Amino acid sequence: MGSLRARFAWIALAIAAEVIATHGQSAVERHVIFQNVGLPAVDEGLIVDETHAPNTRETRKRAAIRAALTRQTGRPAVRCVPGRVVVKFREQATEDDRLSAVASVSRTATITPRPSYADFDLVSIDPAADTEAAAATLADLPAVEYAQASYAGWRTLMVPNDPLYATRQWNLPLINLERAWDLQPQAGSAITVAVLDTGVAYQNATLIENIPAFRDDDGNRYPALGRVTIPYAGAAQLMAPSRFVSPYDFIWNNAVPLDYDGHGTHVTGTIGQLTNDGIGTAGVAFNVKIMPVKVIDGVWDFLFGAPNIATDDVVARGIRYAADNGANIINMSIGRTGPPDSSAVIEGAIQYAVSKGVFFAIASGNGFEEGNPLEVIAEIASRVDGAVSVAAVDRNRAHAYYSTTGSYVELSAPGGSERGFGRDGFVFQQTFDFNFTDTFLLPPTQYTAPRFDVHAYIGYIGTSMATPHVAGVAAMMMQQGIKSPAAIEAVLKQTAVDLGTPGRDDTFGFGLVDARAALRGQGPAR
Amino acid sequence: MKRHLAATLAIVLAAAAAASAQPPDNRRILTRGADEDGIAFRPFVMGTEQTFAAAHTFEAVFGRSHEPFFGGGLQVVKSRYFAEIVASRFRKTGQRAVLVNNEPFRLGLPLTAEITPFEVIGGYRFDLRPSQIIVPYAGAGIGTYAYKESSPSSDPDENIDTRHSGFVLMGGVEFRLHRWVRLGVDEQYTRVPGILGVAGISKAAAEDNLGGIAFRFKVVVGR
Repeated sequence: MGSLRARFAWIALAIAAEVIATHGQSAVERHVIFQNVGLPAVDEGLIVDETHAPNTRETRKRAAIRAALTRQTGRPAVRCVPGRVVVKFREQATEDDRLSAVASVSRTATITPRPSYADFDLVSIDPAADTEAAAATLADLPAVEYAQASYAGWRTLMVPNDPLYATRQWNLPLINLERAWDLQPQAGSAITVAVLDTGVAYQNATLIENIPAFRDDDGNRYPALGRVTIPYAGAAQLMAPSRFVSPYDFIWNNAVPLDYDGHGTHVTGTIGQLTNDGIGTAGVAFNVKIMPVKVIDGVWDFLFGAPNIATDDVVARGIRYAADNGANIINMSIGRTGPPDSSAVIEGAIQYAVSKGVFFAIASGNGFEEGNPLEVIAEIASRVDGAVSVAAVDRNRAHAYYSTTGSYVELSAPGGSERGFGRDGFVFQQTFDFNFTDTFLLPPTQYTAPRFDVHAYIGYIGTSMATPHVAGVAAMMMQQGIKSPAAIEAVLKQTAVDLGTPGRDDTFGFGLVDARAALRGQGPAR
Repeated sequence: MKRHLAATLAIVLAAAAAASAQPPDNRRILTRGADEDGIAFRPFVMGTEQTFAAAHTFEAVFGRSHEPFFGGGLQVVKSRYFAEIVASRFRKTGQRAVLVNNEPFRLGLPLTAEITPFEVIGGYRFDLRPSQIIVPYAGAGIGTYAYKESSPSSDPDENIDTRHSGFVLMGGVEFRLHRWVRLGVDEQYTRVPGILGVAGISKAAAEDNLGGIAFRFKVVVGR
């Protein structure tokens, strides 16, 4: 009871601070973050009854609400952003060439100021025009290296649910991690892993938000919540001194990439959850530095009024930002399917980052039972030495039912599956208790503002969960002395435990990652 | 390889020059020993610098592809023929590594390799001139090569303790330093299949010969 009183008192103080902060302003800001103002999280421990899994009712509901919000807010449809074309001009193209190229598409088309962390330009055209046709026209011009629409449709590749190393984390022994820790007890302390995702719960804060009304996909009206104060707490099992470096949010264009979804925090936990401290769960490379780079928006980002959504150019800028700010490894538990089945701007960004020594772990997709569509980014990974696409296996090392298959699958790691295992089949890490965050899943009468300060050990499944295992092992390999991204990829493949058809196959790639074998290397004869 | 060939050539030329410069009296004295006694038994100690044929493999683990061996043996000389048994040993601790496109990445995990050759060689001692102060020789033989590979990061069954046979070709020159002491300098080529190339770095490097070319110095005691 005492802590409850203290919590209310704290929130009251935060509101007072907000009133003071906004006093005298003519226009009230819609999205205010008081960084490091807030209490630590409420830790609910292990919750096995909340699940995030592909194609569950909750997952479908989240997607439906997101689609409904898109329609209501006039945001771009899922395919691509109207009025925006991503163009990379050739280096030798003069200013006149560029202007002439743009004018050939439309007399009203303009080149907007180049965004940060981009080697490409954004061309603004009439929102009513066909952006793909405009891109195709531009791509054919001699002054243009590539042009594409600003494709959306990015999403996280997870599926959540429930916890704790000895009892819940079957996934870490499955990749022979305990003996890898014996080889490298420092577990990646010199390495920075950038997590390109929905953000990370990496600090305490207090949010002031103005939440509008909306209708869900069934037409139910959720009332406006007005201006609300929202408590936010960092995940205690991620937070350590000097842990987080160069955070950035490309959805909000600021340096506070807070996670309002839970996915990014869960993924980060698998990479680097604090370990051997007698609390909760373990992470793979539990001493790495984390660079939270937010490139994926969630429902609350929509409702809070984020200026950007996840598009190819936004993600590409996130990749370049991470490479330019010292990331050694980039984890992308995200992706999008086609059409189009390519993305020049993403491929260029990945190539750029690899050329700077960055290794990529990229989820291969969760769509096996939904037509097994090509995962565009995973396919790119398969063509770049230094980037790997990661499929998922269950706790019996069998193909996880959702894990996309294809010629681009390169490696496998534990993604989990509830089929045959129930809640014991999930990958557990600390993240938000989504009963307190995903209040939009409730009926309108029970709908309230979210709380991002109630954390628990929740189980998720998906290739999103498999991918950070590979990113963590890669971080340990890099610390061990394998500095080249291409070499890391080669060694991971050489040392993987072959599954399925002998040799590489479309389901498991080269097989299940073996952390000890990858770290231990070889002697002359064995 | 070029270095070794140059060294061998230099030894042979030096031997020929030295032989031609010997006074006749000395030559007669030096022809004694084996000829007069029938069979001479001559123990020796030996130092070897071996350039491994598996260059990428040894560079990855030890940072270089040539390493010293130390050992000794017994030489039996009968007229112009000789036979010798030789035992030597190389032991060094390097690092476990990975080799990707022949680029080594050393991992900081200790690994100790030990090679113990035991060779039996027979050959012929050339009589360039009546003198034997400088005696070129050549021979061939067989050997058995023990190889151990161990690492603190390995389970016992992941270490290696094996032995395979190989063959030897050698040639060099022996110098008389003292009535009872001789210096032998020779080049030796060994081929030892069956240990490397099956797994590990040597497999990645497609190298299957544990032998190589050795430059040997022998101090021989006896007449």
